[in-house]
Amino acid sequence: MKITIPHMGNVYLAAKALFDGLGVDYVIPPMNSKAALEIGSLHSPEEICLPFKIMVGNYIQAIEQGADTVIITGSCGPCRFGEYCEMQMKLLRRLGYQVDFIVIDAPKCIGLKELMARIARVAAASPRSRAQKWRALAQAVRIMNLLDAIEAKAHEKAGYEKVRGTCKRLLHACRQETFRCKTPREMLRCLHEYSRRLDQVPCDNSAKPIRIAIIGEIYTVIEPFSNLYIEDKLMDYGISTKRMMTPSWWMGNTIMSPLKINSPGIRMASRDYLPYYIGGHARECVGEAVLSWKEGFDGAIQIFPMGCMPEIVSKAILPAIARDKDFPVLSLVVDEMTGEAGYVTRIEAFIDMLERRRSHAVSRH
Amino acid sequence: MKVGIPRGLLYDQYHPFFTRFFTELGAELAVSPPTNRAILDAGIQCCVDEACLPVKVFHGHVSCLKAQCDLLFIPRIMRLYRGEYICPKFCGLPEMVLNSIYGLPETITEPFYADSMAGLRKWALRAGARITRDRRRIKAALEAAIAEQLRFKTGYDDQGYPIRVALAGHPYNLYDTFINMNVRKKLNRLGIGVVTEESMDEEEMAPEVASLFKKPFWTFARKTYGFISASVAGKRVQGIVYVSSFACGIDSVILELVRDRIGDFPMLVLKIDEHTGEAGVDTRIEAFADMLERSGRVEDHHSPHGQRLSCCESPV
Ligand code: SF4
Ligand code: SF4
Repeated sequence: MKITIPHMGNVYLAAKALFDGLGVDYVIPPMNSKAALEIGSLHSPEEICLPFKIMVGNYIQAIEQGADTVIITGSCGPCRFGEYCEMQMKLLRRLGYQVDFIVIDAPKCIGLKELMARIARVAAASPRSRAQKWRALAQAVRIMNLLDAIEAKAHEKAGYEKVRGTCKRLLHACRQETFRCKTPREMLRCLHEYSRRLDQVPCDNSAKPIRIAIIGEIYTVIEPFSNLYIEDKLMDYGISTKRMMTPSWWMGNTIMSPLKINSPGIRMASRDYLPYYIGGHARECVGEAVLSWKEGFDGAIQIFPMGCMPEIVSKAILPAIARDKDFPVLSLVVDEMTGEAGYVTRIEAFIDMLERRRSHAVSRH
Repeated sequence: MKVGIPRGLLYDQYHPFFTRFFTELGAELAVSPPTNRAILDAGIQCCVDEACLPVKVFHGHVSCLKAQCDLLFIPRIMRLYRGEYICPKFCGLPEMVLNSIYGLPETITEPFYADSMAGLRKWALRAGARITRDRRRIKAALEAAIAEQLRFKTGYDDQGYPIRVALAGHPYNLYDTFINMNVRKKLNRLGIGVVTEESMDEEEMAPEVASLFKKPFWTFARKTYGFISASVAGKRVQGIVYVSSFACGIDSVILELVRDRIGDFPMLVLKIDEHTGEAGVDTRIEAFADMLERSGRVEDHHSPHGQRLSCCESPV
């Protein structure tokens, strides 16, 4: 059994740690690229959402390197993500690839027993002892949390750094070096080191950078390739960004949501605009828009794939928030046709607008 | 008190329930007219660009009704069957409307769970409270409305045509003849009868649905997939006409599952949005009818199973 997983942001690093810790055979697909997207788009139904297509590209590239088992998470609606596994399984079979899928689905739709059975299939491939397996899992979770924290720190500090580009460089170096580590222990040490170096980046604490919240559909905000590396671009402009959606947030939220104690802040903040969970992360998107306004951000950028059902609902609601709170929101729709030039122009125009608002506000006082 | 009911989305299927419920409570009703050009244009104007045609049409119905009622009913249909959903846009429909259209009257937007009596009662008490305080009257109205709905039958089952096709898609795409440019009539005129999923028992669909790896969690997906696969497996029809809208996330999944199941069985997919021209639709339907007729003749003269012709399904 040679396991692979689709890409989503830094998840591959935590997955690598987990598989190294378990001592199982695995393939990390080549980093997301035009090639992956092209392969994916070629074989996927045309109207399916962008994450599906990139994921199919990942599988095929990983299979070419010998992978024979795909692990993905599932959901049971109401959004399309829950149907991904079935469609992708059939699609790969039609293309003649022999791969197994292990779908880690919520217990409420497949039952706890089935879930355990599926997890046991992965665990069975590992030669390690029970205690070692648990430790591998705990380390992977810690690595994910650390990675998300480091990323958040770099994105925030990019607005304050004295030498433009320091944070971005550190962040990229951190990813590369972590990927080269052989064991989870080594990875953790490396991450701690980068975290410390980020803390020491010389900053101008009196700077008042533009601050933007990144909100929207979970895959396209987390996976930089799918949003044309928007966070890197914003770092280049010296803008401080924040994104609440991270793989670690997702893990916590998924574990807590059956008890309905997940994300109390989002529940409160979205109450006036979208008081129900409608699928995907539309409620989070709306809630984050309100929260970031409360936290004094200059504006928010919503990103979602073309045709994404829940985010179309939030896109209808965001203008009302923008109006009520005088809080600019830019919506960006991405798909395989999104052209870099037009995309950048819109982001730059938005930043210009935020800057102008600042100077007006200053001159008024 | 005048209650406004927009004639959009699932109105065609559930109007007996909703109209009866509100009239029993003593409300006067205002229902928007069948979809027309003006309604569509109004919808396109106020609704977010990215939305699918049926949701835009619904917005159009609301803006046409808003000045004619004191209380506007925007159904938030969360669930029709246990453990299943409709579509994220149905759950967020009231918010889309409230934030896109100005000058709305008071609205009823309580979530509607039709999968249990308790869910229905909860909805009825909350929605009914906006009209009357008499709880007994609300409960009676609910009973009457349910009875009315159960008496109501929709669906097509055309008899006496040499060729029959399964007409599949979401109910509002099938029964709103403005949206689908009266596709049934077009087919009938070419000597093709249509059958819809209401004419098939759920038991007949069940085994087809059960053969999927994952139980579909959308009502539309379960029924449409079950209906099409069972019709093909049971040799009940010679072809399939699937009416869909651009940017419908659910259809993108159903169509993929269906294609995987039926292989090259003849299927015509009509994807419709506000730019779809009727002439293009006509041409494609005619070509499809020709093909069905030809393959029918081939079957008569050659083998009992016949050769299957591939389907034409470039978008309109
Ligand atoms: S949330 Fe959007 S992008 Fe994700 S599966 Fe659903 S429709 Fe697709
Ligand atoms: S099911 Fe499809 S057509 Fe209907 S509202 Fe949802 S996306 Fe639109």
